[in-house]
Amino acid sequence: MTDQKSQNIDLQTTANGFTYHRGSALSIFKSDRYEDVVALIIALIIAIGVLYYVK
Amino acid sequence: MVYTRKSPALLVIGLILLAHGYMIAGGNLADVVAYLKISKGVVAEMTDLSYVFGAIAVVVGLWHWFGDHKEGGLDYYASTVAGGAFILFVAMIVKWYLSPWVAVLSRALGPVAGTPAKPSYLHDVLGLNYVVLGIVAGMITVNVFKIPDWAHNGVRLSRLGLKTGVILLGTLYSLGELAKLGQLSVVMIGIFVLGSAWLVLLIGERRKISNSMGGVLAAGVGVCGVSAAVAAAPVVKARSDEIAYTIGTILVFGVICMFIFPVVGHALGMSYVQFGAWAGTGILNSAQVAGAALAYQPTGDLETLKVGEIFNITRVLFLPIIVMWLAVWYVRRENEAGGAVDGAVDKVDTTRVIIEKFPVFVLGFILMFAIGSAGVFSKTMIGAFRDWLTWLFAFGLTGLGMQITIAAMRQAGGEPLVIGSIVGTLKAVLSLIVVLMFVHGTI
Repeated sequence: MTDQKSQNIDLQTTANGFTYHRGSALSIFKSDRYEDVVALIIALIIAIGVLYYVK
Repeated sequence: MVYTRKSPALLVIGLILLAHGYMIAGGNLADVVAYLKISKGVVAEMTDLSYVFGAIAVVVGLWHWFGDHKEGGLDYYASTVAGGAFILFVAMIVKWYLSPWVAVLSRALGPVAGTPAKPSYLHDVLGLNYVVLGIVAGMITVNVFKIPDWAHNGVRLSRLGLKTGVILLGTLYSLGELAKLGQLSVVMIGIFVLGSAWLVLLIGERRKISNSMGGVLAAGVGVCGVSAAVAAAPVVKARSDEIAYTIGTILVFGVICMFIFPVVGHALGMSYVQFGAWAGTGILNSAQVAGAALAYQPTGDLETLKVGEIFNITRVLFLPIIVMWLAVWYVRRENEAGGAVDGAVDKVDTTRVIIEKFPVFVLGFILMFAIGSAGVFSKTMIGAFRDWLTWLFAFGLTGLGMQITIAAMRQAGGEPLVIGSIVGTLKAVLSLIVVLMFVHGTI
C-alpha cells in the first residue's frame, strides 16, 4: 500500500485543480450549517427517546 | 456517482456484533469479563449495544450487498452506514476490551505515583483510556493500514457525532455553572483568541509572509483550528497551498497537545475545572479539546469536558468576529500595498458574515440547556445522557483519529510552521499560567 493510497481519505480538490489534505473536519454534508441542523435533529431525537424510555 | 459499495463488510460487522451480544449474554465470555474486571453495568451495555447495532448493520448490510444502488441522495447518505459501523466497531473494541486490558497490565506494574491511599498507575498518568486509545487506533488504522473503500464516506460522520455530543452536553449544566463558566471563558478566550490572532498577524508581517497566509493562519491558530482556517480562507483570498500549510501546522500542534496536555495536567495535579479551562483555551483544534478533556476525565460526571466545551463554544462564537476583523484587515493591508482587491473596506457586509459564520449547533446546545434547566430531565435521565455522550464522543474521536493522516501533517512547513509553533506554544504556556493563578474551585 503506497502512502498516498492509504491516506487519501481527506483529499480535497479545489476548482483550479489543486489537491491538498484537509486533515480533519471532514463532513458528508455540503455545508457546516446543514451539518449543524442535522446534529440538532439527532440530539432532539435522542433527548425525546431518553425522556420517554428512561424512567 | 454511486457511493454504496457492493461489499459484505457491513453484514459481517453486524453478524460479529450479534454473535458478541449472544456470547456476552450467555456467559461464554465470563472469564474474559472477569479478567478485565468489567462491571455488570458495562456487561449489560455490551449486550444491548451489540444486539441493537448488530441488527441494524445486518439489515443495512444485506441491502448494501444485494440491493440495487442508483445515483442519488439515498445512495449517498445510506452509504455512510458502513463507515459509521466501522468507526463504532473499532470504538467498541477499544472501549470494552483494549482499554480495560491496558488498565489491567498497568495495575500489574504497580503504582508509579500518588499516595498509598490513592495510588496512580501508568495508564492514569499517561491518560491511556478509551478516548486516547480510540484516537490512536484510528490514526494507526489510516496511517498503517487503510480505511477500506466501503467505509470512506461514513468516516466523515465523525464530526456529526461530536457536534451531536456537544449539543446534548447542554443537558448537564445548571444555570449557576453556565453563568460562572461563561464569564470566565469570555474573559480568557477573549484575551487569548484575539491575542494569538493579533500575534500571528504581527509576526507574519515582520517575517514578510503574504497577507492571505497570515490571515488564514491567524484564524486557525487563534480560533478553533481547521474549521476556522477553512472559514476564513475565502475572506482573505487564501490560496489552497496556504490553507494546506495552515492545516498541517494546526494538526501537528493539535495532535501533540492532545497527548501532552493530560500528562502535564496530571503531573501538576490540576483540578477538573483548571484542566478543562486550559484545554479549552490552549489546544488549537476544537475536536482535540474534547479529546484531551475526556482523556483527563473519561468517566464520572465529565466536569472537565463540561468546562472545556464551554470554552470551546465561546471561542467558536468568536469566529464571526475574527472573520470580520480579518476581512477588514486584509483589504486595508492590500490597499496599503497598492494591490487590487475586489471590494473595499466599506463593502465588508458584517451582518452577512455573522449570519453565515454563526455556528447553529451552539443554539442547539443552548436549547438543550434551557430544557434541562426547566427540570424536564430526572437524575436517571441525566445519567442516560452521560452514557450517550460517552459513546458519541468515543465515536467522534475514533473517527477523528481516522482522518489524521501523516500526509496531512507533512503539509506543515516553512514560515507558517515557525509562526504557528511560536504562537501556539505561547498560547499554551501563558494560558496554563493564567489558569493556575486565577482558576480555582469546582463547578
